[in-house]
Amino acid sequence: MNKDAQMRAVINQKLIETGERERLKDLLRAKLIECGWRDQLKAHCKDVINEKGLEHVTVDDLVSEITPKGRALVPDSVKKELLQRIRAFLAQHASL
Amino acid sequence: MRMEDMSLSGLDNSKLEALAHDIYTDLVEDTCLGLSFEVHRAVKCGYFLLDETDPESMKDFEIIDQPGVDIFGQVYNQWKSKECVCPNCNRSIAASRFAPHLEKCLGMGRNSSRIANRRIASSNNMNKSESDQEDNDDVNDNDWSYGAEKKGAFSQSGAKKRKSEKNPNSPRRSKSIKHKNGDLSVTTDPFKQYSSSSGISYENLGPEELHTLLTTQCGVISEHTKKMCTRSLRCPQHTDDQRRSVRVYLLGSSASLPEPDGSTDNDSFDVVEGQALMGRLPWDGSSDISPSDSASSKASTNNSDTRKPKKKKPSHISMSSAGGASKKKKPKGPAPLTPGMYSELN
Repeated sequence: MNKDAQMRAVINQKLIETGERERLKDLLRAKLIECGWRDQLKAHCKDVINEKGLEHVTVDDLVSEITPKGRALVPDSVKKELLQRIRAFLAQHASL
Repeated sequence: MRMEDMSLSGLDNSKLEALAHDIYTDLVEDTCLGLSFEVHRAVKCGYFLLDETDPESMKDFEIIDQPGVDIFGQVYNQWKSKECVCPNCNRSIAASRFAPHLEKCLGMGRNSSRIANRRIASSNNMNKSESDQEDNDDVNDNDWSYGAEKKGAFSQSGAKKRKSEKNPNSPRRSKSIKHKNGDLSVTTDPFKQYSSSSGISYENLGPEELHTLLTTQCGVISEHTKKMCTRSLRCPQHTDDQRRSVRVYLLGSSASLPEPDGSTDNDSFDVVEGQALMGRLPWDGSSDISPSDSASSKASTNNSDTRKPKKKKPSHISMSSAGGASKKKKPKGPAPLTPGMYSELN
């Protein structure tokens, strides 16, 4: 278990160091805007804000409302492409 | 580290897959967090709902997706028949013709200003249309004056002229006086008088008028109408011989045809010669002179002894208003015929 957590930290370190994490994030953002995920989430935000009132909205409210919905709304194609990239990265660095 | 990495390869596929999934979830949550921050910032800065309006107006500006209409729900052809109202003449003109119309209507450009001027002139000349017709006749045929009905117009314009003569500053008047070159007893203006009628019946003219007329105009008498031609001395309708014979007939045998350029070159006109011509005028025909003429000729009669041809003096306007008093200032003259001429008149 300890070894597992250690390995995770090592891999994250690697992702950041190589800049692969940033690249993956850019790719994901572009894909999500492309498929309208962002607009859907924004519309959802609007509902949340109208419900709570413009003055009383906090970041925590938004995050707790948006994150589960956002996770569910990601299209399968985007998810698959991203997992492919991550696997390729892992395989590349496991072989070292 | 290297050791740890090497151990990665030893992991089984399910563990690797779980790791990849964790990374993916991490990324998605990162993106969601970014979006949340962005929306929160927009809300707090007040620009999140800027593109929102109330539902009713949203309904007004809804995009319409139907065949035959544009996205505003309007029929496409509506724009083709668009008309604009001209601010100048208040007519409605098709939009495609509006710019050319404005150009004409507002009188921009050389051509259209000419049209506008012509329109103004024609509206002013509505009552003078017959004189316009005369001008056209003048160009087209030899019968350049057609008689009796013109007499009305002629006398009318004469009366107008006499009224306008009261203004001593009128440029027309000053021109005519200059032109006569010191002959102050003639106060009528031949240019104005005959501008609206092409023929003059010479019987109505006083001798001074006659003389002025003959030094500036053709003056040949028409066989048809017994009127005088009012064109320039170089008028192409009549020959020099005709002009000379008319002058002999009206002014006496010694009268000569004046030089044509004498009418334009006022300053160089010889005073002495003018006076000599004056002296040869037959004065018996002066019984039917016009009222203004009779007044002026009376003045000249009173001063007949002192009346002398004056030397060249460029400004005659003050002289005309001063009347007979100014005439006394004239030096004793070279024309010996003058006293006799006036005694004959008396």
